[in-house]
Amino acid sequence: MTTISETSVPRSRKRVDGWRWTGRIFLALMLLYTAVPMVWMLLTSIKSGFAAMQFPPQWWPSEPTFASYQKLLDPQNSVGQDFLRFFWNSLFVSVCTTILAVAVAVPAAYAFSRFHFPGRRFLFFAVLLRNMFPAVIFLVPLFILMRLLGLVNTHGSLILTYLTFGLPLAIWLLKGFYDNIPIQLEQAARIDGATRFQAFLLIVTPLSVPGIIATAIYSFIGAWNEYIYAATFLTKNEQLTLPVGIQRFFSENTTDFPGLMAASFMMSVPVVVLFLILQKYFVRALTEGAVKH
Amino acid sequence: MAQVVLKDLVKSYGPIFAAKDVSLTVNDGDFVALVGPSGCGKTTTLNLVAGLIPITSGDIIIGDRIVNDLDPKDRDIAMVFQNYALYPQKTVFQNLAFPLQMRKLPKAEIEQKVREAARVLDITHLLERRPRELSGGQQQRVALGRALVRDPAVFLMDEPLSNLDAKLRVQMRSEIKRFHQDLKATIIYVTHDQLEAVTMADKMAVMNGGLLQQYDTPAQVFANPVNMFVASFIGSPAMSLVPLEVASADGRTVLTSPDGWQLALSDLNARKVESASSRQVVLGARHSTIRLHREKLENTVPARVYTVEPTGDITFVQAFLSGAIVNISLPPSVSVEPDEMVWLEFDQSRIHLFDGQTELALRAN
Repeated sequence: MTTISETSVPRSRKRVDGWRWTGRIFLALMLLYTAVPMVWMLLTSIKSGFAAMQFPPQWWPSEPTFASYQKLLDPQNSVGQDFLRFFWNSLFVSVCTTILAVAVAVPAAYAFSRFHFPGRRFLFFAVLLRNMFPAVIFLVPLFILMRLLGLVNTHGSLILTYLTFGLPLAIWLLKGFYDNIPIQLEQAARIDGATRFQAFLLIVTPLSVPGIIATAIYSFIGAWNEYIYAATFLTKNEQLTLPVGIQRFFSENTTDFPGLMAASFMMSVPVVVLFLILQKYFVRALTEGAVKH
Repeated sequence: MAQVVLKDLVKSYGPIFAAKDVSLTVNDGDFVALVGPSGCGKTTTLNLVAGLIPITSGDIIIGDRIVNDLDPKDRDIAMVFQNYALYPQKTVFQNLAFPLQMRKLPKAEIEQKVREAARVLDITHLLERRPRELSGGQQQRVALGRALVRDPAVFLMDEPLSNLDAKLRVQMRSEIKRFHQDLKATIIYVTHDQLEAVTMADKMAVMNGGLLQQYDTPAQVFANPVNMFVASFIGSPAMSLVPLEVASADGRTVLTSPDGWQLALSDLNARKVESASSRQVVLGARHSTIRLHREKLENTVPARVYTVEPTGDITFVQAFLSGAIVNISLPPSVSVEPDEMVWLEFDQSRIHLFDGQTELALRAN
């Protein structure tokens, strides 16, 4: 890598600069593309219902108000009650999915990385089978399955379903991570007096924390954002998750855009916060898992 | 400290033998080097002794216990790895303390033992650092420290010097040797570098293809290699091996070359070739036992110079002899040119003769 860039830089400095600017412009456009809707969401959420519908639109709300947020977070009124319940439901489903995904993926990935057992390759690729098809294909079969299991209208149905999305990637991501931890570390620990499990727990696990965090974020976000299965498996109001629940702001007569935007904003808060806190692990995990060194 | 006995040790992966019928005894306090080219089974053998991989058959005895089915942690061994295997998330102190913590020693004793090991290895000033903040030589010392902090029955070392640069390697080589002398430790040391084995070990076990070829003192292995593999592997530059045929001329036993020359053998060597299984015999000679002449003398053989490599105090010459390459060492005052014709004289008392079929060294009956 370094030799290539070192030799090519002096020869074609101009072209590299040209590419760099093209890259910057591209990145700027991408940033606009992703940031503008977020900003608009935020601005709309602090407008009054009337101001939100104005045309030409108010770029900056003339009378900023947090009324929508107050309404959503107020457990006294019905909108607030619903929102908080949906929020709690989403949190419950996502956290359960995450914990289960990590709990299963960690030992599974470790086994795939370290042990040679019959059917290892087959199993490893079989794990991916679920991800080779669009999610919608499994909607009806999974629904029938959930009905047989008596899980329709329970959060359990969603947690199970989200695990089928999240686990394969979690296992692949973590396996790459374990592959990069030299096996000699465990061997050294076992010779130093640790059992195999202690070696895993005391030596390997601390080193794989970034990978585990990335896996957790990945599972959490997948579960937190999921819409179609939640909309299909759940019908009872008190069980809905946020992505489905916030549809209720589209009512028959009018749509409460500031309320919808405030709810959307609050829904994105946990994800953004998670990313901000843990992004360095996430990036490290994705790159370290991918690149052998 | 303890002795280690390997009895008919076998490790196979399906039909492939990584180690086959390896039997050897490492005496208490001995430094034994397992040496051989990559894939020869030396590291496998070490891992079998460590218990990191299960054995297929045979016995491993450490001290007076058969340890075949014991976990590595219960074998009372310490190991130094090629990549040191220092725990990256732990400081040097914690690295050294880990084996003691695992044995549930009281805190004060751990502290005292770690400090003692650090003092011996001169790494006290590094105790609070993490492995990635250390140089290669320092990491090597810490790895050694983690092994000796526990006072194990046997030290296992898996190419501990091969990741160091040349200068540091020579320095650490003497340090490990000194460490062995001071501790009277039983050490099994794996290396692919025959020079390390020869310089450090009390005994060396030369392995190839999963088989133990020869197990003896370095001097014996050097002087009396049992077969062509050992002969060519030990010594630098390698022993020259020239395939020839046995014949008799004027009542004497001679070796003949397809190039037309003959080399008369001494009586002892003549008796050696009698035991050969066929007429094919391989002549082996180390560089220092071959003399180079400018003109044809009695019982010299013609060769053509291929390369000349002056190293300062010795000049190494490679020459073609009967289709094989022969290494010769010369004092730097002698100058020869590539493609020059020269005559070689072999020291009959120091040549080696091998059976061309079995590749085993020929012995006089």
